[in-house]
Amino acid sequence: MEENTSRRNFLQKLVGGVLGATAIVFAVPFVSYLIPKKSAGGANLLTDADNKPILDRDIKEDASLVGFSKDGPTIVIRLGGKLHALSAVCTHLGCLVKWVPAEGIFFCPCHAGKFDANGANISGPPPEPLTVYKIEVDKEGKIALEKA
Amino acid sequence: MIKRIFNAVDERVKLLEIYREHLSQYFVPAGLNIWYSMGAVLIVLFSIEIITGIFLLIHYVPHTKEAFESVTHISNAVPAGWLIRRVHAIGANLFVLVLFLHMFSVLIMGSYKKPREIHWFVGCIILGVTLTTCLSGYLLPWSQLSYWATTVATSFPGSIPVIGDWLVWFMRGSNPVSQETLGRFFAMHVSLIPFTILILTSIHIFVMRRTGISVPPWTDGTKKIPFFPHFVIEDLKVIYFFLAMLFIFVFFYPQISFPPDALDPADPLSTPAHIKPEWYFLANYQMLKLVPNEFLGIILQGTVAFFIFFLPLLDRKEERRVWKRPIFGTIVFLGIIAFIILTVWGHYS
Repeated sequence: MEENTSRRNFLQKLVGGVLGATAIVFAVPFVSYLIPKKSAGGANLLTDADNKPILDRDIKEDASLVGFSKDGPTIVIRLGGKLHALSAVCTHLGCLVKWVPAEGIFFCPCHAGKFDANGANISGPPPEPLTVYKIEVDKEGKIALEKA
Repeated sequence: MIKRIFNAVDERVKLLEIYREHLSQYFVPAGLNIWYSMGAVLIVLFSIEIITGIFLLIHYVPHTKEAFESVTHISNAVPAGWLIRRVHAIGANLFVLVLFLHMFSVLIMGSYKKPREIHWFVGCIILGVTLTTCLSGYLLPWSQLSYWATTVATSFPGSIPVIGDWLVWFMRGSNPVSQETLGRFFAMHVSLIPFTILILTSIHIFVMRRTGISVPPWTDGTKKIPFFPHFVIEDLKVIYFFLAMLFIFVFFYPQISFPPDALDPADPLSTPAHIKPEWYFLANYQMLKLVPNEFLGIILQGTVAFFIFFLPLLDRKEERRVWKRPIFGTIVFLGIIAFIILTVWGHYS
């Protein structure tokens, strides 16, 4: 009887172990399927919604333009002839900031967060400054970005 | 002919026995009020969501380039498409409202107490899964509203230290909300979550049948009536009341689910002003705006959710009458008032 019980216990554990191991083996490919891919290497070019490069000449003095970089939506402004690039994603809840030339600030329309022209958070709920990028413009006028 | 087929099937699988055991000979307490019909209303609304959802799937295209156009096509070109879409969208709102009412009645009547703790736990999980369904479904039309409301909602976990950014990235499948996000949310919304709700609801009903239905704490529950047809008629009264509400909104106030930003296609490069979540997230949204630190806000909300979920383990006294439990009654009352104030505040802020 005792031998039967221990044999039964062993078989129960064996069934549990086999099913558990099977579940783990099956789970691995499904979990890896869900993990997003990192973006590929190469130049971090600023592009429009159709993935075409935005050119230096597209951005006028005191104007702004929002495009995509590998890090997400990015805003570029031209002040005193010089280009400045910052992440357009508000550090509060991810809405996109707009450049307000009259005030010289970036404004988030969702919760009225404000950042100065250097990206520093100056008013409202944003907890951190905007990410600033260094800019390189190639011969064709394409804008490449690198975190400052 | 039909009767002969039925008799032949019944002889083999005893259908009438099931009918008697679970419907006509299944007795429930006679003193049940309309609050006890909320579960039946939820089952009807869930069925409506499933049916309308299947019909919407026929024309919907889960791709960022075509999603908005396909939804516009359903509303404008497909016969009765506007009706099916409105019923689906407004029905989801009504489902959340009735679920809140159902949980409120369980709270007030102390029906979460022993031996019905499991009902409460499963019900809380159903609420969480339902809100996830609503969030995932909100993105599918790929409108300005859906895109930016999803961007804001999926940004909240970003404030969790260490893993926050990874969580946001994992939920979205990419950095900004994109095709990867739409694919994930679509799969969750049309298959994983409805299936999960179906399983959870089955467990909920199963444990209710095992423990027996609760009775209002002010009745003794000795007098009984058959579930079918007596109690089903009581259920039907409440079901048709909520169906009337649904169709009043569908025909006369559809803008409740379709504000102007829902009529523009998503533009990932331009955030419209005053983006707000649906009404059932407004209290959370407003609270997070009020608390200076986002992570602290999430911790606060998590704590509230923790206490609500584990309520049956925290409140073990047998007394169910709310007027005999003044501290509990005051906490519930203040909680509901806070929820309403934050919701209204969030709407107008």
